[in-house]
Amino acid sequence: MNHPPKLQVNNLTVNFGNLMAVNNVSLEVYPGEIAGLIGPNGAGKTTTFNAITGLIIPSSGKVFFNGHDITGMLPHKICRLGMSRTFQVIKAFAHMTVEETVRVGAYNRCNEKNVYKKVDQIIKLCDLADLRDKLCSDLGLAILRRVELARALATEPEMLLLDETGAGLNQTELLSFMDLLRKINMEYSITLLVVEHVMQMVMGVCSRIVVLDSGEVIATGNPESISTNPKVIEAYLGKRVPQCY
Amino acid sequence: MKQILSTKYLPFISIFSLIALIPLVISKDQYAMVLVTTVLLYAVLASAWNIIGGMAGQLDLGAGAYIGLGAFTTGTLLTRWNITPWIGMFIGGFVSVSFAILIGLPLFRFKIKELWYALTSSALVEVLRIVFLMWDEVGGPTEKYLPGGGDNALYSLRFSTYIPYFYIILIFLVIVIYLNHRIRNSKLGFSLLALGEDEDAAEVLGVDARGNKLKALMIYSFIVGTVGGLYACLYGFLHPSFFSTEISTEVVILGIVGGMGITYGPFLAAIFLVSFREYLRAALGGELAGLYLAVYAVVLIVVALFQPRGIAPLFRRLFEKVIRSLGGREHESSAKASS
Ligand SMILES: Nc1ncnc2c1ncn2[C@@H]1O[C@H](COP(=O)(O)OP(=O)(O)OP(=O)(O)O)[C@@H](O)[C@H]1O
Ligand SMILES: [Mg+2]
Repeated sequence: MNHPPKLQVNNLTVNFGNLMAVNNVSLEVYPGEIAGLIGPNGAGKTTTFNAITGLIIPSSGKVFFNGHDITGMLPHKICRLGMSRTFQVIKAFAHMTVEETVRVGAYNRCNEKNVYKKVDQIIKLCDLADLRDKLCSDLGLAILRRVELARALATEPEMLLLDETGAGLNQTELLSFMDLLRKINMEYSITLLVVEHVMQMVMGVCSRIVVLDSGEVIATGNPESISTNPKVIEAYLGKRVPQCY
Repeated sequence: MKQILSTKYLPFISIFSLIALIPLVISKDQYAMVLVTTVLLYAVLASAWNIIGGMAGQLDLGAGAYIGLGAFTTGTLLTRWNITPWIGMFIGGFVSVSFAILIGLPLFRFKIKELWYALTSSALVEVLRIVFLMWDEVGGPTEKYLPGGGDNALYSLRFSTYIPYFYIILIFLVIVIYLNHRIRNSKLGFSLLALGEDEDAAEVLGVDARGNKLKALMIYSFIVGTVGGLYACLYGFLHPSFFSTEISTEVVILGIVGGMGITYGPFLAAIFLVSFREYLRAALGGELAGLYLAVYAVVLIVVALFQPRGIAPLFRRLFEKVIRSLGGREHESSAKASS
């Protein structure tokens, strides 16, 4: 790891009233890797994502992206710098078609002339060609997860944060989704930080994992060391057994 | 290229050409002229609302404020400094835009939406009405009549019949609907639609929420303010009641019933609802004042229940059916013509 980190989070803290959802969290994600962020329900994973992407302003701590301080910056500016995300609870553009949804993201870097080319390219990449004229409100969860990924990819990010993209997918859908993630990571060199409950996916794609529990980082390491770490096992067994397919 | 251009806009051009012929048929009937002019006027307002409400999803109830500001600016410029409303109404548009920015900046800064946005924009109408009621130099409780008419009709935009107004408003409508169409197919339109669907999701995709909403509000308030200037000339006087929450509500109803974000939606809604309302008012008004409003409300509830996405999709399906049944024959005839 000679490179400076792509994303660096220093002592991030988020309070909701007197609930400390994220407590003094520090983590790094390095260029080109697929890092995992795991932890039991309510550990503060989504809140960490929200604070990184500018949707909520952290109570304290700093977030650096490519060395720039992006703490408290507006989300669209962070996107312009090259970071986008998906949502755990799908936020589909219900009354827009798949093509239109992707086009929203594509405008981040494209003008009216080359936006169509970008949309076509992303739709092909995410295997959505048959569905491009379908309204998002007519689509199922598995497809919508792919549409969310597609519109985020259309912004031409350097880094993507994926919040439980594997949740609710069946085995075949999950495998094809994992392939897609590896592909965008390898071929488009997009750095990924994924929040995931599905252990098969975490272990399958992540090279490094950060474990959160009650808002705090309790372990960091490669998949093998994490799955045998007693603190991690305790955190999960105390609350919830990891979902193993 | 020219071929594509002309066929693409063919329905647009032919519909508006047909509308332009209406006064030739009914110009003798004063009541009918008032009715069609009113329909067009509301169609312009609701089409403008479509940009901020239909696309960006901001439930704006401020139309009455911008109409009033446009009307008073235009009227006062004419009365005091003899500035023609042809210029005055655009100045009125800019005055409306300044007020829109004044309330838009803080509201969008704090992500105020739905009910709270609706209430604030509605309050703007009431506040301005009271201000103009007390501000004797410009407003005041009695009507201030506009000069002009007669030989000066064109300069002071004060005509004795509805026909010139009909055509001026029709031109406005063509422009506003074309503008809707252009915005809907551009970066601005996609940004607004995305914001209307889900603001967080739009923002992380690079959509500047505050900037785009402010742009939409400015376009909308400019159009409504300009129409306000025309409104003053049409009525021939100024009165604080121009700051009307009823007009604001009507505009929102048309925008929603037409179909949020759909270019032709508000126009369709204006055609049906405004003429229906006027018909009811004429038919029932004598019997029981206010009954027409009750019937009108029932119709709105029916639309809300059975066409929650507005009436435009219904008409699109109908239109496509007609085109398809005509299309077959058209293709045959064009094939024959070319061979
Ligand atoms: N907007 C909010 N207001 C108040 N409390 C919140 C808010 N969002 C999250 N929380 C609380 O903060 C804690 C962390 O929530 P968060 O959604 O970040 O957890 P998570 O790790 O993503 O969990 P999950 O695995 O269920 O998605 C939880 O206790 C949650 O109830
Ligand atoms: Mg979560």
